[in-house]
Amino acid sequence: MFFNWSFRIRIALFFALIGLAIPAIVSGAMWAIVQGISEGHDPGGLVFIWGGGAAFVLVALVTGIGVLFDINVAAPIQGLIRDLETVTHANPEHTVDVDAGKHLGGLPSVARDTAETMARTQRNVNALIAEATKASEEQKGRLEAVLRDLHQGVVICNLNHEVLLYNGRALAILHVAGDLGLGRSLFTLVNRQPFFHALERLTNRLTDGRHKTHKDGLAASFVCATRDGRYILQCRMSLILDQAETATGYVITFEDQTEELAALGRRDRLMRAALEETRRPVANLRAAAETLASNPEMNEHFRASFADVIFAESKALGDRLDSLSKEYQEIITGHWPMADVYSANLLNCVVRRLRDKEGIESVITGLPQWLHGDSHTLVELLDRIIHRAWDHVDVSAFDLEVTADTNHMNLDVVWKGEPIPSGTLDSWLDGTLDEGLGGLTARDVLEHHKTQLWSQAVAGGMARIRLPLPLPRDLASVTRPKLPPRPEFYDFGLLQPRASLRALGETSLHDLRYVVFDTETTGLQPSQGDEIISIAGVRIVNGRLLTGESFSELVHPGKAIPKGSTRFHGITDGMIADKPSIEVILPRFHEYVSDAVLVAHNAAFDMKFLGLKEDAAGVHFDNPVLDTLLLSVFVHDHKEQHTLDACAERFGIRIQGRHTALGDSLVTAEIFLRMIELLEARGINTLDDAIQASNEIVEVRARQEEF
Amino acid sequence: MKKSVLVVDDEPNIVLSLEFLMKQAGFDVRVAHDGDEALAAVKERIPDLILLDLMIPKRDGYDVCQRIRSNPDWKDIRVIMLTAKGREIDREKGMALGADEYVTKPFSTRELTERVKELLGAG
Repeated sequence: MFFNWSFRIRIALFFALIGLAIPAIVSGAMWAIVQGISEGHDPGGLVFIWGGGAAFVLVALVTGIGVLFDINVAAPIQGLIRDLETVTHANPEHTVDVDAGKHLGGLPSVARDTAETMARTQRNVNALIAEATKASEEQKGRLEAVLRDLHQGVVICNLNHEVLLYNGRALAILHVAGDLGLGRSLFTLVNRQPFFHALERLTNRLTDGRHKTHKDGLAASFVCATRDGRYILQCRMSLILDQAETATGYVITFEDQTEELAALGRRDRLMRAALEETRRPVANLRAAAETLASNPEMNEHFRASFADVIFAESKALGDRLDSLSKEYQEIITGHWPMADVYSANLLNCVVRRLRDKEGIESVITGLPQWLHGDSHTLVELLDRIIHRAWDHVDVSAFDLEVTADTNHMNLDVVWKGEPIPSGTLDSWLDGTLDEGLGGLTARDVLEHHKTQLWSQAVAGGMARIRLPLPLPRDLASVTRPKLPPRPEFYDFGLLQPRASLRALGETSLHDLRYVVFDTETTGLQPSQGDEIISIAGVRIVNGRLLTGESFSELVHPGKAIPKGSTRFHGITDGMIADKPSIEVILPRFHEYVSDAVLVAHNAAFDMKFLGLKEDAAGVHFDNPVLDTLLLSVFVHDHKEQHTLDACAERFGIRIQGRHTALGDSLVTAEIFLRMIELLEARGINTLDDAIQASNEIVEVRARQEEF
Repeated sequence: MKKSVLVVDDEPNIVLSLEFLMKQAGFDVRVAHDGDEALAAVKERIPDLILLDLMIPKRDGYDVCQRIRSNPDWKDIRVIMLTAKGREIDREKGMALGADEYVTKPFSTRELTERVKELLGAG
């Protein structure tokens, strides 16, 4: 401060000196002129001499000051600038010259101190960097050692599938001679389809947040082949996330499965052969022996024939068993990678492929289910079968649905028309599938899933191909948490005739188009500020639940989500941060619904929430509304429980997954479909009938509440 | 009138037993050795019951069964599948394609005869 002050004083005095010197010189000159005039000299000459003299002195003064300023201020500042530039850009250890700038007050020493501090910091930073580099070199060394020693090949790629890191084992497994080459596309080495498929599945899992509860997290196992199709590899892909939880790349581990799979195939064939080839001779033996024993009166000719059979069969059987056991010992066993797969993801891949390739229209219907299998080979199998079916039955619209029975998840391909003869269907199984699968046939895929497929007629002039698949292994992770249900809501106004009802009232329940929907909210009090945070809907057309055409959006409620409500819907503030508000979403939903009949469980609750937002969103829902809760009371009046879970259980609908707007819409839709049948049995055939029945229930319930 | 049974199998050793057993039980017995022969035999004269092996030449047993079921004139024919395919899923496929019974080899001839009699209402 002192330096600053004295520096400024000095500069001020300097300029004060200049300021005083100029009037002094000018007035001195004028005084001399006046003096000269009073002494009678020639005024013109005086003015010339003294004026010129004063001007000369002024010029000399300014020049002198300029030179002094340059030596004492400008030059030292220039020096300091150079010193500081050297410190900053070239040599942090460079010493700042303090002596030259002694008239600059504290500036040179401050600059020197700053430079020294900077040099010190730089030394510290350098030391830290050196230390960190050493540590990361050590880590890298360890990582390389681990990767080198791994039995699996490891390749790390970014989302453009460019190779970022790999180990030597990967080279061997992928049969690459020399170098893999960083930055090279992975697909110069392996067939791309299975990778796209796995990445798509994992990305969807990440987007839906399912990886948090999924048993495999952000990893998926699959099978791929090298580009030349010579080697089959078992792969496992894990997504790499950055701090914002966005995928930036993936790690692939490879295991050469060629031998193991070949061994597996041999073992499977052997097992089948052993079981089937021994059954037949044993059957023949037993039949012949029993027949002989129980028919003692048999004539000599027959008796001899039976004896021949018994002899020949038992000998053949013994020989076969010997060769089987010998073959069996030569086989090393392996396993085929299978995982729990969500049917919606699997079928979506199929639908997209069929549409892209041939324009085959396939529609996913029914409740999505978990099943166990190898997603990629199943997609290939279905693609093949549906393609052939399309050729064969001359129908281009197929429904895809998965339904559960006690032993299997049945994947059905349904169309209008005749079933496919068993022999024809069987002949489609032998061609090889995608070359990326190394010569795998459709029959192999069936064998790996230990299943069969067949075609049969179903009700209503329809036919289907049924492919039973294993049940999911990890049922625990997909079962639904038990939560208390929403309280029941009643609203008389809701079920009063609405404008659109007149046109549809006489229509049969079977022929109407429905949108079954559900909302998740921040709480149960719409009139006290609770808001919608999620809205979803699914279509029912002609009695088919069109799972593929669903509506599902998260909504920003314009306030924080109460922590307590998150356990009901699993939605957190982070998930809705960048979502649009209900004013944006509701018009989209309105468009999705169009003129369909709205269906919801406890519909009054959801309609109340929608109603409160109609004005702000500029839309109006005047669609007819049906409530599965009221209809449940109507068809199951003897039951006490009419919650969504209770209704689903009554209809034997297996509910998987947590409570989400889409999940609950699907369950409600499935319940509603089953209810239509029961309603018809009770004489409720049209929309008018259903609404009248509902109104009666509302009245009864309201009266009950009064007591 | 005697009830008739069609035995469809390509293995003479089992055909021997089955033919004998069915005759012994008082049925009129015919034999076919492959899928085409089986369908031809059904067309010629409709049997009351078919003992149908699954792994037969030309047309497998599933296909034969499905074809029989797709003809309304043949809806009264009882079909028992006799097979070395022992998996549950094979049985499901058999039943889905219209078999009345699915019997895995080896089987007891006594039980089979009883089942045939039951299906034909011959006690």
